[in-house]
Parts: sequence; C-alpha cells; structure tokens
Amino acid sequence: MLKSWIPNLGRLRLIVQLLMLFLCVYGSIFVGNYMADKLSRALPALSCAYDQMNGGYCVLIRAQHTLHHQIGMAIARAGEVTFSMVLPLLFILGSFFAFFFVLGKAFCGWVCPLGTLQELAGRIGRRFGIGVRRVEPGDLGPVSRVRPVKWLILVGLVFLLPLLTGLGVTPHTLGNPYCDVCPARIATTLLTGNADQLALSLGDGWSFGLGAAANWLIGFVLVGALALRLPFCRICPLLAFNAIFQRLSPARLVKPSRASCGSCRVCTTACPMDIPEISQAEGKKAYNEDCTLCGRCAEYCPQDGVIRIQWANMALFRSSREYYKARARNELPDGTIKPVTKGQSDV
Amino acid sequence: MRFLLIFALLLGAAGSLWAQHDEHQRPDGERGSGRGGGGRGGWTSQPLLFLERGDDRTSTTLRMRGSEASSVTVFGPAGGQREFQFVDGRAKIEVADAETGNYHWVQVRDEKEQHVGIATTVWYSSLSGPSPSRLLETEHSELEIVPAPLPREHANYRESEKWRFAVRYKGQPLSGQRLLLETENSSRSTFVTDAQGVATVLFPRDFDGKSGDSSHGARLRAGFVLSTEYLSDGRHFVTAFNASYGEDADRKHSLGWGAVFGVFGMLSALPLLRRRKRIASKEQSC
Repeated sequence: MLKSWIPNLGRLRLIVQLLMLFLCVYGSIFVGNYMADKLSRALPALSCAYDQMNGGYCVLIRAQHTLHHQIGMAIARAGEVTFSMVLPLLFILGSFFAFFFVLGKAFCGWVCPLGTLQELAGRIGRRFGIGVRRVEPGDLGPVSRVRPVKWLILVGLVFLLPLLTGLGVTPHTLGNPYCDVCPARIATTLLTGNADQLALSLGDGWSFGLGAAANWLIGFVLVGALALRLPFCRICPLLAFNAIFQRLSPARLVKPSRASCGSCRVCTTACPMDIPEISQAEGKKAYNEDCTLCGRCAEYCPQDGVIRIQWANMALFRSSREYYKARARNELPDGTIKPVTKGQSDV
Repeated sequence: MRFLLIFALLLGAAGSLWAQHDEHQRPDGERGSGRGGGGRGGWTSQPLLFLERGDDRTSTTLRMRGSEASSVTVFGPAGGQREFQFVDGRAKIEVADAETGNYHWVQVRDEKEQHVGIATTVWYSSLSGPSPSRLLETEHSELEIVPAPLPREHANYRESEKWRFAVRYKGQPLSGQRLLLETENSSRSTFVTDAQGVATVLFPRDFDGKSGDSSHGARLRAGFVLSTEYLSDGRHFVTAFNASYGEDADRKHSLGWGAVFGVFGMLSALPLLRRRKRIASKEQSC
C-alpha cells in the first residue's frame, strides 16, 4: 500500500513539498492565527511574512529589519557599533540555524513554497510537451554566469541597502528591498486570495520600481518554469544564505571518489539546477553552492552507492542501478514524462 | 542575464529620478511606529492612548488624552504586569516580563465614585515571544473590548475591512452589547455583539480626500476608538479600545500597473518555451 503511494524518493519529496506548501501558506488554519510566532520567524525557506495565514517567516525579512531598524539606526544615533546592536542579528542567526541544522539545504529542495510552485509549473510544462531548457553551454549558457547573481542580491538587497537605509544614506523605502522584489511575496499571498501584493505602490519611484521588478519576476518565473527548471532558485538570495552554512549542517550530499564515475553525466541532467560539478567533481566540490538537496542526482545515478544523501554518517538514500532502472522507466532524468506505450498500458 | 541587468539598471535609474523630489527625513510622528492610534485628539470624547516611537524594543513613551488616571498598567504576553506613573500626561513604559514578547496590553483606569473609565490599547514591541492568545484571554478589567484576533506583524486594521472584537464583563461574553466606533476621519457607527459576545466591526471607507503623515508612499493612517458602556451593581463602566487603521490597499496602489508588469514578465519568458536548436549535453546511456 505504502509502496504504491510512495514508490520512489521523488514521490516522497512531492508529498513533503505539498505538505510544507500548505503549512507555509495556510498554516494558521490549523494552529491558530499567531502560528508564525510559534513556529519561527527565521525559517530557511521563502515563507512570506506578508501572507497573513502562513506558518512561519522567512529569515531574510528579519535580517533586513534588524539591519535597518536596529543596527543601522543605532549606528546613526550613537556613531558606533556595540555588542547590543549585533545581538539581535546573532539571535536571528541562532534561530535560523536551529532549523537549518536539521535539514540543511533540504529547506530549499523540500520545504520552500516558491520552489514547490516552480516545480509544479515545470510538471505542467512537461505534461504539455514543452521541452526542458538547460543552463549549460549550447543552450542558455554556462551556469557559472548566473551563480554570482544570488550573492549580489544577498549582499546588496538583504545586507547592504537595509543597513544604508538605517544609517540614513538611502531612502526609507529601501528598508527591506529584497522583500519588495521577492516573487514569493506575490505568489504566496495570491494563493490566499489576496491580490494586495500584486498592486504597485504609486507613492514614490523606489516603491514603484521595486514592486514592478517583483511583478516582472513572478510573471517571468511562472512562464519560464514551464521550460526552465527552478528559474528563480538560481538567483535566490536565500539559496546563497543557506550556502554559507551548508557545511555546518549534518544533512548533505556525499559523492566519494569513484573511478567509474564521470562519464555518463546523467546526474547533471537530472539536477534541476543544472550543476555540472555533481558529475565532474567529487568530495566537497560535488556538494555545490547551488545544490538544494532534492536528491534527484542520487535517484538517477546508475552506479551503486556513488551518490548519497546523508545525515551525519547515516545514509538516508544511496544511488543504485536497480532503483535507477525503475525510476527512469516512467520519467527521464530531465523530468520529461515517458509516453505510455501500448504494452505498458495493457499491463 | 544581460537583459535582466539592463532591466534592473533602467528600473533603478527611473526610481532614483522619481524619488529625488520627495526624499526627506521620515517624521518621528506619533503614528510612526506604534499602533496606538492617531496623535490628534478632539474627534472623540473617549479616553485615548498614543504610543510614540520607542528608543529600543523594550520601552516606549505612552501619551494619554481624555483621562485623569495617574498610572498605566502594562500586561505582558507571559502573564506579568507592571505599573508606570504619568508625568504631564506621558509615561515611559517598559515590557512587562523578564521573558518579554511582542504583544502587550496597555490599560489605564480612572475610577471616580460609581464611574469606572477604562482605556486600552495594544503595544507591539517587536520582541520575539509567545503568541497573544493567553494575553487576550486573561481578564484585565471588569468591562473589556478585546480584539479577536489581533492583527499579526505586517498586518493592520484597514478601511473597508471587517474585524472581530469580543466584549466581556467579568470574563464572561456580553451578548447584545452596543459597540460604538469613532474614527479620526469623523465617522461614527455602531455594532452589536452576537450570542458569543463578538461584534464584527466594519472599518468605514473614510480616507477620501484626507491627507496625513504618510511618508514615502506608505499608506495613510488614522486613529479609531471602540467604546461600550455597562451598568452593574450601581456602577457605570465605560471601556474604550483605541488603535489606528490605514487606507484601503487599492488607494495609491495600482493593480493595473501590477498586472502590466506581471504580463511583461510572462512575455519576457516566452522565448524560453521555444525548443532549443541544438542539444549540448549528449546524455550517454550507461
């Protein structure tokens, strides 16, 4: 019974993702109006604080508010940095890490509501026969060109601008600029039937410009995700934020040295982030900053035990040839659904 | 990638030019950070409590109008309470508990012979802590108007919205109780509690033509007060709850422009849906 409902890791992940989407977007239905205060205000996933039914807040909004209201404004007043100013930021990082320690970057691949929505859009695209586009040479260009963008957004919009706003250097409307451009803010509030976040503020240029960028992004992501897997995750500052701490969590991707590996590259094809290192490198380099711990590379690795998802020394999932054969029977590594042949339908 | 960068630069340049004309220091108005209601009195005969911008998250200044009470009591979300004295109508209040939390119930009591006047508001200190469920269930005075629920962080009372308020006497729900809503924008309306002692209050759409201390495109805010009175054992209780409410989301916001940029984003992604001309990765069978 259980086997038919959860035949593989991909199905298990889809079920977890849908449950987490429900918790992040509608969580207060079950645990009360103030659940965000109960669960956490520093989640390592894009669970938006503007959604009034959610179950917890994304760590990025608190980081921006603390840099703006507490650190920046305090420095502007007192002219110096004291430990008491930095303490709230350390508290946020502590709350964040309490969650991150358990799941690590699986928060991106298994929990994040925007990640789930993009994957659902991708499933629709493949169901309608839209070909998968790849960020790789020969298609959209090498992935190395895109990778710095998420770090620039993290440093610029999450750390620097809120701090400069607190210091009085930049206008007040740049207090939480990342939230203003975040497509998850629009997507998750729309899911609760609230279109307020879709409307652009006409009050001043910054608000209008940042809001316009967010709306453009959500439009691009929703259509782009039909062909390109996880388009926003590639520039998501939370992926970069989580990448800072990814070596500190026991949850990780492990790929020891193996002479037989490196020729087929099916794992990179299966990877929704198009990470070439998973097939071309080993050891720490294989667990790349872009990895979301979704586990698809391990699922589609045809070599026994070459790629593993581990928590500390415990292997949660390891690649195997038999599993690969069964997995690839219905779905190709790039996510394309195999057409049902007459023989299969008869069975 | 190049297109994204050009788009970001264009937006930034447009935003910068547009922002120059109204770039000024955010006023430290009484409505700036707190939700204790508008700073101007005179629009109601009920006592009002105003929260001013605090220096830190553990304290703020409370200003009172329309009451001769000498002290204010702050109830914390974890059950603690502290009393502070007014000096010239102002009191510096602090969080009530050692463990602190975000939500604090602020109450002023003015008792003269058979008349008991109670003014209340809520102070959001922005400190992490327990939910306000216990705070709102606890009886703090004989006659109470209690938000059910309180707006969460990043939420506010807004015109055209309906919010529920419970009315209790000595901890028990009062059904059929009349509740008067007055706003700084000169609206007055009455509501009656149901069998569970809960009234559903519709905030009037009354910001038309109003101007106020809206900075950098933020929505205008105005004060409101809900009040009710009750006679029992020869004593006359009057309780007020005041806070602020904001403009409707559709004012100074354009859903049309939002949709335009959303559709523009969708159109920008259309080239991705074309099939790629050549396959770079030659997936080899293993």
